[in-house]
Amino acid sequence: MRPYLALARFSAKRALTYRMNFALALFGVVFQFIAMLAVWRALLGDSSLQGFTWPQMREYLLIAFASGTLVSFFADLSMAERIRDGLVALDLVKPVRYQEARFAEVLGGVWIEACIVLVVGSVTLAAFGEPVWPRGASIALFAISMLLLIVIKFLVLYLCGLLCFWTQNYIGVQWARIALVNLLSGALVPLAYFPGWFGAIATWSPFGGMTSTPGLIFIGNVTGADAALLVAVQLGWVVAFWFAAKSAFRFAVRQLTVNGG
Amino acid sequence: MALIEAQDLTKVFRRADKKPGLTGAVANLFSRRFIEKTAVDHVNLSIDAGEAVAYVGPNGAGKSTTVKLLSGILEPTSGEVRIGGVVPQRNRMAVANQIGVLFGQRTQLWWDLPVADSLVALREIYGVDAATYAKRLAYFDEVLEIGELMAVTARKLSLGQRMRADLAAALIHGPRVVYLDEPTIGLDMMVRERVREFFRKLRDDGTTIMLTSHDLADIEGICRRLVIIDQGRIVLDRDLEAVKDEFARERILHVQTATPVDLEDLRHALPQATELTTGPGPLSLTIRFDRFTLAAGAAVAGVSRFGDIVDFRLDEPGIEDVIRRAYAGELGREPDPQERPQERESSLR
Repeated sequence: MRPYLALARFSAKRALTYRMNFALALFGVVFQFIAMLAVWRALLGDSSLQGFTWPQMREYLLIAFASGTLVSFFADLSMAERIRDGLVALDLVKPVRYQEARFAEVLGGVWIEACIVLVVGSVTLAAFGEPVWPRGASIALFAISMLLLIVIKFLVLYLCGLLCFWTQNYIGVQWARIALVNLLSGALVPLAYFPGWFGAIATWSPFGGMTSTPGLIFIGNVTGADAALLVAVQLGWVVAFWFAAKSAFRFAVRQLTVNGG
Repeated sequence: MALIEAQDLTKVFRRADKKPGLTGAVANLFSRRFIEKTAVDHVNLSIDAGEAVAYVGPNGAGKSTTVKLLSGILEPTSGEVRIGGVVPQRNRMAVANQIGVLFGQRTQLWWDLPVADSLVALREIYGVDAATYAKRLAYFDEVLEIGELMAVTARKLSLGQRMRADLAAALIHGPRVVYLDEPTIGLDMMVRERVREFFRKLRDDGTTIMLTSHDLADIEGICRRLVIIDQGRIVLDRDLEAVKDEFARERILHVQTATPVDLEDLRHALPQATELTTGPGPLSLTIRFDRFTLAAGAAVAGVSRFGDIVDFRLDEPGIEDVIRRAYAGELGREPDPQERPQERESSLR
């Protein structure tokens, strides 16, 4: 445990090193959040669309903001860069498991992101008034869903990072991932607005758990057994991806070429 | 059993054969040809605990690739590595604590953190206890003077400072085996000498060292065994002193005389000399000879019979000559073009 705690601690410290970069990234996501609020306010007016009223949409967008912010600022590029530059060679001679070590680093940064979410969330609530909080089992399922979201977001990033062992470049992989995740997770548009079959695919896909599931549970559109089923699906994908990533890594390191020096 | 064992170690890289120019780049998007290059070709090595081995070869000979195979970073195409009986590629965690790696061209410091943080992180990763850590740190400070670097962010270090900090980072867990890949690259003369002294101490303390370097002073100053690799194959693997005895036998005597000496007379007096020349000027003589057939003293005495000696100097070729000859293919390697292009076409259409 000790090595992983150290990795988490120093990853957090690194995250706080570049203040300007951090502030700008924060400005970007908050700006996007406000823009989304404005667009949906104009679209929905006082009516309800596919089961979303404006107050519900507002809360859904807050959850979408939270899912977009967690595991994003500090997780992304360093692993891919290290693979491309060959610095991964030095990661491979350390007595730590590669996947667990990267997870520890991501968790080291997550608490900072969680603080941002809390601040932005509080400001939103202060501006628009208290939401209708989910009750009883729903609040527990929501909490579990958010925790699973952190793991699954990490695993998607990690698997994309492993692709660098083949592609040697991350930009293309990153664009493809962002497009896919934004659409299929319901971060851009709630999945209820898609054609039925497409919405269903997205809901049961690993991406559904990356915004839609916690969002719908939070606003009360999904409750009880349905909510529990969606969280179970999330858990299933977490377990499947965790072990898929392990075998992908074993396969990926065989591709490794580190040229020069 | 030897500490490091490599058997028939082979690594074949496949690289895309890229055509030059923009048209070539577009063509490559649709159709790629690959060339297979054998970087390491059936290498057998056996290194005992406490040995200091120089691993030498021209650029692109496969030195770094061998080191990466031996440390478990790269997967061999065929053959096997064992460190203390364990295959590093199969059992990464077990081997990691025993080896330390320094790649002169890459740093293992956390780039955006102070050096002290990197070392603490490594202490935690390797599970070094506080007392041992303090002791090692004090020692590193003594020889490498890293104390002054501790508070500096790694990316702000100069190359020489970074290398000193990186050395501490590579050795903080007290590894039994240390791979040093060009450890003195870019260092100034003073630091270079200090680092070498550091490696000698490490060697004398029983650490097994494998060093690749283009710096001959590194090799002669640290190692006792010389392995030369060329085009992926080992062309020489011998004790360093024995190599010098065998291959660096030639001596060159430069003599200044008070009066000109007739070369023909001298040739009769010193028939063992392999070459006699005069110049620059009529009073300078150069005599080449094999030190096993002619003693230096006898050569000097031979000259003194024909004229008074004003001054003389003896050149002793170093390991440099041996390595140069090995690179030129003079040491028992039959020339054999290694690049075997196995072309395969794959198409995206």
